[in-house]
Amino acid sequence: MGKIVLKNICKNFGEVKVLENLDLTIEDGTFTVLVGSSGCGKTTLLRIIAGIGPATSGEIYLNDEEISDVAPGRRNIAMVFQNYAIYPNMTVKGNIEFGLKNNHVPKAERERLISEIAESVGLTELLKRKPSALSGGQRQRVALARAMVKKPEVFLMDEPLSNLDAKLRIQMRSELIELHKRLKTTFVYVTHDQVEAMSMADKIVLMEKGVIQQQGSPEEIYRNPSNVFTAQFIGTPAMNILKLPNGCHMGFRPEKALMSETAPYENCAYRTQGQVLTREMLGSETLYKVMVAHVDGSSQPVMVKMTEETIAEDRSVRIAVPEKDLYFFDREEARIRKEEKPGQYEECLRCLREVRT
Amino acid sequence: MTLKSKKEEAGGKKKKGLRSFLSNKLPPYIMVAPAIIFFLLFTVYPIVDMIILSFYEWNVIQPRKWVGLWNYKYLFDIQIDFKIALQNTIVYTVSEVFFLILFALIFSVWLQKDSKVNAVLQRIMFFPHLCAMLAVSVMFSWLMDENGLFNMVLSFFHLPGLRWLNSSSTAMMSVVIVSVWKSIGYQTLILLSALKTIPADIYEAAALDNTGPVRKFFCITIPLLSPQLFFMLITITMSSFKVFDSVRMLTKGGPGKSTVVLVYYIWSYAQSNLKYGVAAAAGVVLLVILLILTFFYFRILDKKVHYQ
Repeated sequence: MGKIVLKNICKNFGEVKVLENLDLTIEDGTFTVLVGSSGCGKTTLLRIIAGIGPATSGEIYLNDEEISDVAPGRRNIAMVFQNYAIYPNMTVKGNIEFGLKNNHVPKAERERLISEIAESVGLTELLKRKPSALSGGQRQRVALARAMVKKPEVFLMDEPLSNLDAKLRIQMRSELIELHKRLKTTFVYVTHDQVEAMSMADKIVLMEKGVIQQQGSPEEIYRNPSNVFTAQFIGTPAMNILKLPNGCHMGFRPEKALMSETAPYENCAYRTQGQVLTREMLGSETLYKVMVAHVDGSSQPVMVKMTEETIAEDRSVRIAVPEKDLYFFDREEARIRKEEKPGQYEECLRCLREVRT
Repeated sequence: MTLKSKKEEAGGKKKKGLRSFLSNKLPPYIMVAPAIIFFLLFTVYPIVDMIILSFYEWNVIQPRKWVGLWNYKYLFDIQIDFKIALQNTIVYTVSEVFFLILFALIFSVWLQKDSKVNAVLQRIMFFPHLCAMLAVSVMFSWLMDENGLFNMVLSFFHLPGLRWLNSSSTAMMSVVIVSVWKSIGYQTLILLSALKTIPADIYEAAALDNTGPVRKFFCITIPLLSPQLFFMLITITMSSFKVFDSVRMLTKGGPGKSTVVLVYYIWSYAQSNLKYGVAAAAGVVLLVILLILTFFYFRILDKKVHYQ
């Protein structure tokens, strides 16, 4: 069990309000990823859950029990830090054992736990080494082992992969996913990397300026963004957002746009013409930057991602997006969904049609 | 090739060798020469001369007279004042090391938090280090006078006054108090700067590991400060073994011989008794003690020091 409920959390650093009246429920056993740009308050939130950076006001519940005033060491929560925070003066074994000793676990039990955990993260050979004699990946494992050995109800991870090289990061990513499946405990993971968030999470909590912008499964966040921020934060390259004459915004994902030199695309809701500015060959797909004639008469660059790579730079092209792949946002950048606000939705569609005719 | 041309070539090679020596190999030696000359002249030569002198009897006026190991016999066998000086020096050094490290640790942990009060306190604490020992000694001889401020404070609390520098039982303690007061700010500053380099997340990890404050201090703070503590141990030991000016100013080795320390002993034998041979022998003993101590520290304790 490891369900976390945050109610009305506020956090101020002096005059600066980082979090204001934040509510969040993290379900037991989920892999929840807090994602957002630097300074959005995600690490602050994690530290509040851990108890090492207490909230200015608000309540935290772990399994329906309030833990707002419980010391970090008594919350049954373990944390993996961005810089690992391994005790440099202790051996690998000493690091893993330290918390157990503090909790007066008998020696025989300690030995059993350490060998079990060391085995599971592949540290058995390194138990006598000092951290200075370990590589980045090995240190990461020590930090993990130290967290795991306490058998906590919740694992908190603060960008644990950001100090690893790209290859190792991908490997550790899948190891963490496996670990979560094996332990079936609640994981709360902080990252600024949307790819990491998409690939690991059961649930993504997207934050900006201390406010939760949207929360949901990776698919939901990708397919059904609630606002311009979410739409542009998730997905690479970011969603193209174009302003409509009525002040609303229209968006489409680069991978959903159709582009060719000849096809008329008559059944598509959005159609325009443009000129290819640059072409980036990424292997399986190609990224085009295209300057398009915009609905208000100006021209604006958009990104188009395609699996074909036949179109050369400087060529004139037609670009189109079917209605199902178009997203509309109001003047406050909130999503206009067809089922919620059919009137506004139709108006936006009409704007597009008028321009075409 | 003719013989002549071979000779010429050999000559050319020699010339080339000489030129390369002059242009490549010599300049570095010229660069370090002033330092080396100073070192040889003012460090190596006096040490060697002191060792040689310790086997002679000499009073500056008459020529040196070979006496073999008699000077050493004089130190350890004939007179007891050298043993007293050695004993006093050890007491002084142990007290200095103990109290300085203890108080520096306490003050640095206390002043660790960034606040305006602490910033002011740090500067105030460092101030005595800037004062000359001479001035400090004069000030403390007033404060420690039998009618001085210290006794006034004691009598205010209805406590009996002390004779501080004038009693053989309190004189050494008084000298230690003065020098601890003078250097505590400097030592605190060293530890304080080291404390600030310990990453905050290590303490946070310790908090999550349910670490109590005492265990946190002894299992994390002290080991992470060990390089600085080791440095302090060595420098305080060295400077304490060589203490002179405070003793000279405050007590002149008295009352009786209660505050005679090694360097004061050497100085008084050379300057007052004109027994340069005995003084040199004592100097050699001091040198050997310092060498042994340094060796011991590095050999035994270096393994316990954790370098990040």
